[in-house]
Amino acid sequence: MSALPAIEVRNLNVHFGTAHVLRDVSFSVAAGESFGLVGESGSGKSTVLRALSGLNPNWSGTVRFNGRDHVTRPARDFYRQVQMVFQDPFGSLHPRLTVDACLAEPLAIHGIGDPDRRIEQALADVGLDHGFRFRYPNQLSGGQRQRVAIARALILEPSILLLDEPTSALDVSIQAEVLNLLQDLKNRRDLTMVLVSHNLAVVGHMCSRVAVMNGGVIVEEADIDTLRRQGGRHPYTQELLAASRHVALAQPMDQPAMV
Amino acid sequence: MTDETPLIEVDNLRVRFHTPTRIVEAVRGLSFKLGREKLAIVGESGSGKSMTGRAILDLVPWPGEVLADRLAFRGEDLRTMDRTRRRALRGKSISMVMQDPKFSLNPVMSVGKQISEAFRLHHRLTGAEARDRTLAMLEAVQIREPGRVYDLYPHEVSGGMGQRIMIAMMLVGEPDVLIADEPTSALDVTVQAQVLQIMERLVSERGMGLILISHDLPLVSAFCDRVIVMYAGRAMETLDAKALGKGRHPYTKGLIECLPDLDYPKERLAVLNRDPAWIGP
Repeated sequence: MSALPAIEVRNLNVHFGTAHVLRDVSFSVAAGESFGLVGESGSGKSTVLRALSGLNPNWSGTVRFNGRDHVTRPARDFYRQVQMVFQDPFGSLHPRLTVDACLAEPLAIHGIGDPDRRIEQALADVGLDHGFRFRYPNQLSGGQRQRVAIARALILEPSILLLDEPTSALDVSIQAEVLNLLQDLKNRRDLTMVLVSHNLAVVGHMCSRVAVMNGGVIVEEADIDTLRRQGGRHPYTQELLAASRHVALAQPMDQPAMV
Repeated sequence: MTDETPLIEVDNLRVRFHTPTRIVEAVRGLSFKLGREKLAIVGESGSGKSMTGRAILDLVPWPGEVLADRLAFRGEDLRTMDRTRRRALRGKSISMVMQDPKFSLNPVMSVGKQISEAFRLHHRLTGAEARDRTLAMLEAVQIREPGRVYDLYPHEVSGGMGQRIMIAMMLVGEPDVLIADEPTSALDVTVQAQVLQIMERLVSERGMGLILISHDLPLVSAFCDRVIVMYAGRAMETLDAKALGKGRHPYTKGLIECLPDLDYPKERLAVLNRDPAWIGP
């Protein structure tokens, strides 16, 4: 890989008090790539994202975004490059701010002009018409809220998007809409994405490479295609694959496996 | 009473909410019978699947109204039954595992105390007996170190453990019917498998009837015997669970096609088209 990776993480360690929750986590993500992090709750996958996004300053190691060193207290312009979407669309939007106010805030913080046009555009990009602009979060469904959260992250036109279980709180039908939306946006804007999920099928759909985490350590990093064809090398990856295949529906006969 | 009497009979069940502006129909004419089997009800949020479970237990919140041509438990009519009798059935003969252990357990009481309270209520045991039975029950739902877990408070246990504690509590009354409302949707795949195994064992060993309410089609297909697919309060289709992948109704097909699958990658996920005609008159 000759080009500069968009995200480079080397020996990332996080301690909470006496608990050592991330141990020497290293990976790198090329520009325009989608990278997946899978593992069960408590495996440290969200902690990785929180350290990368600047929400948790208690980390040590080397993290570089587009070649620039990441610091524990990032400056304002960092957030124009890196934005995050959270798991719970019910908890991540301020209940007493309208969609308009919620989208105007990042623009005001960064001193970006022409908020009116940008908000209209951001809503249109996530497939919400202007009727949604002056609604409160409690007047939106879960899928619509998650779209607003994505619009809020993308309104600053970041090049890197961190997604923490963006669809696990949604119905499968709404999940499909949100995943399609993310893929369209990624293609249109050439975004680099890191997707955290416990659902291997979702990661397999969105990402080309995946790291499997367990107990604060990356136990295996592999191409999705390799994983699909050869299975995992590490026993934990195999367990995860088996669990996700056990509950996979048999597909209709006219749809041969694309292996 | 013969063994052939279905555990639960539901005929033309309707659940309505009278609001100041209109009548919201949550369930519109659902009929099914439950034997000693694993029946799944699947559908999106708002399809009325949880309300069906709540209607059976008489837990539909105000201002909801439950109407049915027949609603019976082992041949006994639930509609005409007096409140005391119905209350006696609830928890003892029919019980329900709620979706989220965080909101369904009492936050200021240790989990062991909560389970032993259920033992004392249903079996009139003394405190010491209830404690012993609780420890045994915690072990039955595969909690390691039950003695330590007994004294923990709900915020101190993980999601998977909380869910197992809820199942333990619901099994205290040794119910004939267990209604599980999304019991595993908050759990990791590996923990999910364990919780389902526990329920599977209970159905096969004790001959319990299980209604599993879920939006997870692959899980239901692997775990249950029969599946009712619900949309907007109506049953779209009732299928053999193993044949869920071959469902004929466009709604069932739509729900399956919008799932990503690890082994069958698709360029784009299908988006569900909902046809108002499915709701019917």
